[in-house]
Parts: sequence; structure tokens; C-alpha cells
Amino acid sequence: MRARLTTLSMVGPALVLFVVMLVVPVCLSLYLSLTDWDGYSANPAFVGLKNYVSLTHSAEAIRAGWVTLLIAAVGTVLLSVFGLGFALLVNGASRLNAFFRIVLFYPHVLSALVVGFLWSAVLGTSGVVNGWLTSKGAEVLPFLSDPKWALVSLIAVLVWAGFGVNVVLYLAGLQTVSKDLLESARIDGASKRQTFFNVTLPALAPVVTVNLVLSLVTLLKTYDLVVSLTGGGPAGSTQTAAYLILWDSFHNNALGFGSAQSVVLMVITAGLALTVARLRASADRGVQG
Amino acid sequence: MRTLGLLTSVVILVGAAGCGGGFSDDKGAAGDSTGEVRMLVNITPNLTKSYWEGLIKPFEDANPGVDVKIEAPTGSGVKDTLPQLLAAGNAPDVVETLMADKVLAPQMLDLTDQAWTKDTPLVEQASLDGKVYTVGVGQQAQSLVFYNKDAFTKAGISAPPKDLDELTAAMGKLKAAGYLPLQTAGDYVTGLQLLQLSDPSIATKYPDWYQQISSKQAKVGETMLPLLERYQSWIKNGYVDKNALGLKDVGAQTNFLSGKAGMYIMGSWFVRTADDAKPKFDLGVFAAPTEAGQPSPGPQGVTMAAPYMVLKSTKQRDLSIKLVQWLVTDKTAVQSQLAQDGNFRKGYTDNLSPLGKQVQDILDQAPKQVAQGEGYGANTLPQGFNGEWNKAVQSLYTGKSAKDVATRIDSWMGSKS
Repeated sequence: MRARLTTLSMVGPALVLFVVMLVVPVCLSLYLSLTDWDGYSANPAFVGLKNYVSLTHSAEAIRAGWVTLLIAAVGTVLLSVFGLGFALLVNGASRLNAFFRIVLFYPHVLSALVVGFLWSAVLGTSGVVNGWLTSKGAEVLPFLSDPKWALVSLIAVLVWAGFGVNVVLYLAGLQTVSKDLLESARIDGASKRQTFFNVTLPALAPVVTVNLVLSLVTLLKTYDLVVSLTGGGPAGSTQTAAYLILWDSFHNNALGFGSAQSVVLMVITAGLALTVARLRASADRGVQG
Repeated sequence: MRTLGLLTSVVILVGAAGCGGGFSDDKGAAGDSTGEVRMLVNITPNLTKSYWEGLIKPFEDANPGVDVKIEAPTGSGVKDTLPQLLAAGNAPDVVETLMADKVLAPQMLDLTDQAWTKDTPLVEQASLDGKVYTVGVGQQAQSLVFYNKDAFTKAGISAPPKDLDELTAAMGKLKAAGYLPLQTAGDYVTGLQLLQLSDPSIATKYPDWYQQISSKQAKVGETMLPLLERYQSWIKNGYVDKNALGLKDVGAQTNFLSGKAGMYIMGSWFVRTADDAKPKFDLGVFAAPTEAGQPSPGPQGVTMAAPYMVLKSTKQRDLSIKLVQWLVTDKTAVQSQLAQDGNFRKGYTDNLSPLGKQVQDILDQAPKQVAQGEGYGANTLPQGFNGEWNKAVQSLYTGKSAKDVATRIDSWMGSKS
């Protein structure tokens, strides 16, 4: 009994926080997703699965879902590739590398809203790049005014703003690569390319998994950069799921519908994150077996 | 394990109770003659927190023991902050910026029996089922076209256009003279401008447009189709920049005020920006033209400036009403709010700039003042209309036809009924 009380006293505070800050909001969100609620009325009307059915018919929500998945898929790959590339570039202890690491991490320190405003001033129709192009008599490039270009610009800025974390994690991972194995590979005459693919990369596998899951989860929630860079436009072409959830919930006063969207996004995010982690675990078992 | 389950249940119930605690069905307690009144307000570069505090100081001085606490939105604006405060059981006593509609009205105090509301701007137009929930300081004119008089002169345009054919012809002349005829932008600007431009024509052609839309006698897309087709032709002819959607509203204003564009459709709040910028060209404003054959000037789209409501859940009903009455009737307070945000009110013309006087003239000469976009009071479209309309209009730039846009907006309206 005393042992139980001791355990409870130790986990109690964390448990209360966990329930209040995580379980309650999730339960409330689930409940609200089954209601028709404008955010003001005292009693949300229970409508069962109506919001989820509406979701399957909403062209806008479906498009936002695809846009989000595209951003998450392309962004995750690019974040990992650039993160690993830059980590290899600045790996090693020197003052210059320390400086480069700070520079690489710097974009991540900025608020996403600030990043968006910054890049809209660079890429906008009257921005720095187009200002320079027009001064040279060239045509304006539609970075933010054409739906496809705007999506590409959004992904590029997301990667710019986010890869600092990947660099840090890969740098930490590179410290764990066995120096003995690297030395053996060098003595055996392996090229740098062979050493990277056969020694370094396998050793980095757990870090790759962490980076993929982190990037995926972060990108699936993309919101603030959309607000400040593209405003979801042009013509709604860069609306992400998170952006649409906020829009429907607070601009359209459809909190029930917004909650249904957030539940679906939560399930998809959890599913994708678990899938990546399981694939990694299964690959590890294959290597060990 | 059982203990754990019990603990979890208690916490969930406590949390849920906390979340539901904000909704009150009472009629607002009268309260004391002194105490605190919390007011949730819009914060912008013009309407800073210190501005609001300075505004209400004379009221506090005249009412010793009364403390008006100015609260800034915790979300992106008042619209999303109020539901959060209500849900948290922490609703303010007074809210500024929002106007009562069928969603908000049940949470607000009915001010119909307050005699002083009768003399406030647009109070009848904003009433809902004959009841007054919202009172305002002034008016924001919507259907305005600001124009570069120097550019007009260079393009050989002798007078501001009175109908849309003349407007289109003027655009051609401005383009030929080397100007971008009409400045627009992405964000909310694209759709808003077309709504602002359409107000006089729609209100003349369909005097009870909102009622016809609500009763499904008319469709938004169908009634707007001629304007959408005209706008599409402007894009095609280069009268608006095909890359304008890559501009923020501030960028568009800068472009226009730097003299690159001939016209900029915007609400009266732009007067303050234009006056501060002191453009190097002669800046004027004219009422949005009507469709060919309709009398000009047409009905003007207007919205209520600085609207206030008292929440039904207030425990300081009398003080809250007294504060709102002061805010919308005290001459100094009204004058200050009009000047701060480029708003207008009949009889308050002393401090207007030359451009502001032109706007007041347009408002005074308008045969009628009509709601705009999502509207207010009885003239209301479904929540979210402005955003959906904006996206639909922007799709004209991305290759959709006017008919596609009309169908899209009608389909959206159908999904909201």
C-alpha cells in the first residue's frame, strides 16, 4: 500500500497535468466534433457523425487535406536531405563550423509569422526579387500569385525555416558513428561515398527516424507560415488542414465542423507517425535477425 | 488502477465543467454604481491599447470608483477571442468591433428600450428582428473609388466615371497613358473590392437583395455574374495586375500612393492612410459607379464604425450600458474615435481633411445606405461568405471563368442553407 502511495505521489502531478492538458482537450474535441456548435450558444446541438459525413463531401477540406499531405511528404524529404547534407558539411570542431551551425539554426529561432512576412517581402509581387527583375526589364515571377508557384514557395520557405533542427539532430547522430568502423572502412580502401552509405547512414538510422517523425508531425500542422506568407491564397490554393480548421472554426463559426477536421487530422498524424516508427523498428529487426 | 480511473474521471469532469462555465442565460445583473467594467476591443496600429485607455479616461474621471479595463484580443482578433472567453467563463462586459447576428444576438443585451440608441448611426439597419443589440460611433463608407487626379488628367479623362462602361473606358485610357488602371491585392482585398464596387448596382437592381437571397428567390452568383464577367475582362485586358494576388494590402496601398496606379477601390478607413502618406499627386475619391443606365450616385455600401455590444452575462449591466452610451454619444469621445480610424458621422465635419470631406459628401449625397458583404442585422448572409467570395473571385485570376465562379458561390450558399 505504501509502495502504491509512493508511486502515486511521484506520478500524481504529472498525471494530473497529462489529464487536464491533454486528455480533457482531446475528449472535448471529440465531443464537439459530434455537435453543431457556433462557439457562442450555451448548448451545442448533438448531430452524431454529420460533421464527418460533411467532411467527405467538402471539396475545400479534401483539397486542404491533399495540400497538407503534399507539403508534409515533400517537406519531410527535403528537410532530411538538406538537414543531413548541411550536418555533414559543418561536422567537426572548428570555430568556422561553430559559426556556420549558428547561421544554419538561426531561421528556426525566428517565429514562423515573422518568417512569412520576411519572405513575402522578398517573394511578393512588389518584393525584393521582383523589384530587381522589373528594374532589369524582366517579367515579374509569380512566386505568391500563381497557385502552383505559391505552393512551391510555401514548401521552400518551410524547409528554410525548419531544417536547423534536423541539422542539430544529425550532428548529434554523427557523433555516435563508431570511429573504429570509419577507420576500418578507410583502411579497407572504401571511398567516401561507400563509407557514407555503408557505415555512416546505417548508424544514423535512429536519428533519421526521429527526424522523419518530427518533420512529418510538424508539417502536418502547418499554419502560421500560411497565414503570414500566402494567407491561404491565391484562391485558397495553399490552405492547409490546420489553416482551414481555424478558418472554419472562428471565421465561419463552425466549431463542430472544425473539431471534426481536427480529429481527422489528429488520427492521420498519429497514423503516419506510428507507421514511420514501426517501419524503422521492423527494419532494425531485419538487420538484427 | 481503480484509483487512477477515479482520479481521471474527476479531472475530466472538473475540466468539462470549467469549460462549460461561461454561458449564462441571465439578463445581466444591474451591479453597483462603482466597480470594474471589462471591455474587449479591437487593437490595430491606429487603435492601440494606450489609445483606448486615453479614450475612456474622461469617463473614468467623471465616474469616480469606476475602472474600465481595456482587454486586447488573445487570439488573432475579437471574433475568435470572444468565444474563447465565453468558453472559459471569463466573458467581458462590453465588446467592440462585432455586430449582432443570429449567432451573437442571444449572448447580447437587448438595448431597444434605451432611448439614446435612436440617434446613433445605422442603428435601425443593424437591428435584428426589431431589437437593438449593436450601437456604433459612426459609419465606414465602402463603395469608394480613390483616384489619382493627375493620372486622370494625363489620360485625358475629364470627369470621374459614373457607370461601369465609363469606368472600363477610363481604365483603357489609363493603361494607354502608362498607368496600372486599378490597383488590387491578394489577402481579403480582391473580393472586398468587387463587393464594394457592386453595392450600388446590386442595391439598385435588387432593392431587397439580402431578403431575395435568403428566401432563394435570387442567387448570389447569378446576380453577380455581369460584374464577374466585367472583372474577368479587366484581368484579360491588363486593367488589373495579373500578379496582384502576390501583394499584401499594405503593398497595394503603397503602390497606389506612390502614383503607379490610377484607381484604388477601398473603404473610408483608407482616408487616414492616404492623409498620413501625403502622396505627391492630387488624390480624389468618387462614389463607385453603377451599371450602365442606372442613376448615379447609387446606394452606398456602409458598415457601422466602432460598434459596441453589452454581454447578457454581465454583472455590471448599468455601468456597461452607461459606458457604451458615453462612447457613442459623448461629442469628444465620438470625435476622437472618428478621427482615429477614418470614420464618418453626419454633423462631425469640423476636423475632416479635404479627402475626408469628399467622402462625407458622398455619404450625404447617397440616395440610400445599404449593407455590404456578409451584412448585418436582418441583411445577413451566412457566416464565412466574405472569405468564400474572396477565394471565388481570386480564382478568376487562376483561370476560372466568371460562370465557374458564380456556380461555385451558389453551390457554397446552397451548402449553408
